[in-house]
Amino acid sequence: MDNHLYLIYILSFVIGSILGLLLSYKKYSEPFIINKIDVLALIMAIIGWVLALNAQLIPAIPEFITVTVGVFLFAMVFGMRPGYGRYETVIGFAVAGIIWILRTVLL
Amino acid sequence: MNLMAEILLNVLIAFFIGSLLFGLQRKVMARIQMRPGPPIIQHLLHTLKFFIKETVFPKTAAMPFYVVITLILMAIWVAAVIIGPVTHGPLLLLFAIFAIHKIVEHNAGSSSGSPYGKLSCVRAVFSAAAELPLFAVLIIIYLKTGTMDLAGIIAYQDAHGALLLSIPLTALMFIVLIISKSYYFSPFNITLAKDIISGFETEHFGTLRGFIMMSESITWYMLVWIFLTVFIGGLSPIGYLIGMVIVTAVIGLINAITPILNPNHSVMAEVTLAFIGIVGSIAMIYI
Repeated sequence: MDNHLYLIYILSFVIGSILGLLLSYKKYSEPFIINKIDVLALIMAIIGWVLALNAQLIPAIPEFITVTVGVFLFAMVFGMRPGYGRYETVIGFAVAGIIWILRTVLL
Repeated sequence: MNLMAEILLNVLIAFFIGSLLFGLQRKVMARIQMRPGPPIIQHLLHTLKFFIKETVFPKTAAMPFYVVITLILMAIWVAAVIIGPVTHGPLLLLFAIFAIHKIVEHNAGSSSGSPYGKLSCVRAVFSAAAELPLFAVLIIIYLKTGTMDLAGIIAYQDAHGALLLSIPLTALMFIVLIISKSYYFSPFNITLAKDIISGFETEHFGTLRGFIMMSESITWYMLVWIFLTVFIGGLSPIGYLIGMVIVTAVIGLINAITPILNPNHSVMAEVTLAFIGIVGSIAMIYI
């Protein structure tokens, strides 16, 4: 991986995290909740992780663009205010991981 | 890509990754203490915040040294990035930078005129004794590989396997060194211990503090980068990232469950661990 791509992914992660943090503070006024899953965040986490780990599934788009968008989306959920976005991140990563295993190991 | 662009890219990567790793360290520590903890990007935001704050200068500051010392700190760690990830140069120079870092800590503490800074300054001199593991690591690696060149050490590991497996006690000594440089509640980091507020950083404000924090992020990245390169070998960027996350999480765990030692105990603990590491490693090489 070229260093400039690596930097783009890091910047995508940082900007996504900052945006996620700001938006989640607007969305949630309580400091911390347990056992409630935000459907929108879950969809973003799943799409983000799947795109970041399985960019080869969309050959029409250059890989670095898919990964950058994926990293941005999952960082928005990962970077939500403390306590929020944890379950969504884990579910998103698990789904993307299963797809990655199916794609690279089993098929 | 030309050399200047390569240097700039690597410095930016070191800054961002180092900051995020510090954030991860705080998160790990918080989770162990049953707190949700701050977001991973908190340390990065904290650093950037200082660049938009007012920079004030204490009346007691020794000008212009008070200002220049922050730039020297930044410069030595940019130099470390050039020697390390950019050129894979000599390990000896990287360790020289660690020695300069100790002098910079000392001078940053004394230049502000703050009593906390002065205590940190004295502790920087005192803790120089704890740099023993650093030089021991250097010598043992040379005895094992016959080179001090990073490229040569990587080539040696490609041929003979990771040094982590053949000289694990040396790796342990280096881990002790990494712990001593970790920013948040390290048992060994006596120059930044909370009993002296923020040590040598206490009286540096605004942009100057921003530069110090930026340098510390690069320091952390470089320490973990050197550990992974010297003891595991040349990795891909993703390999480095995974390795850095693991090392930082382990250090976070250690910092969360260990007390902050006083200066005497800290130095003696480090020297004792160094002694065990040196004797053990030499025995493992020659017996």
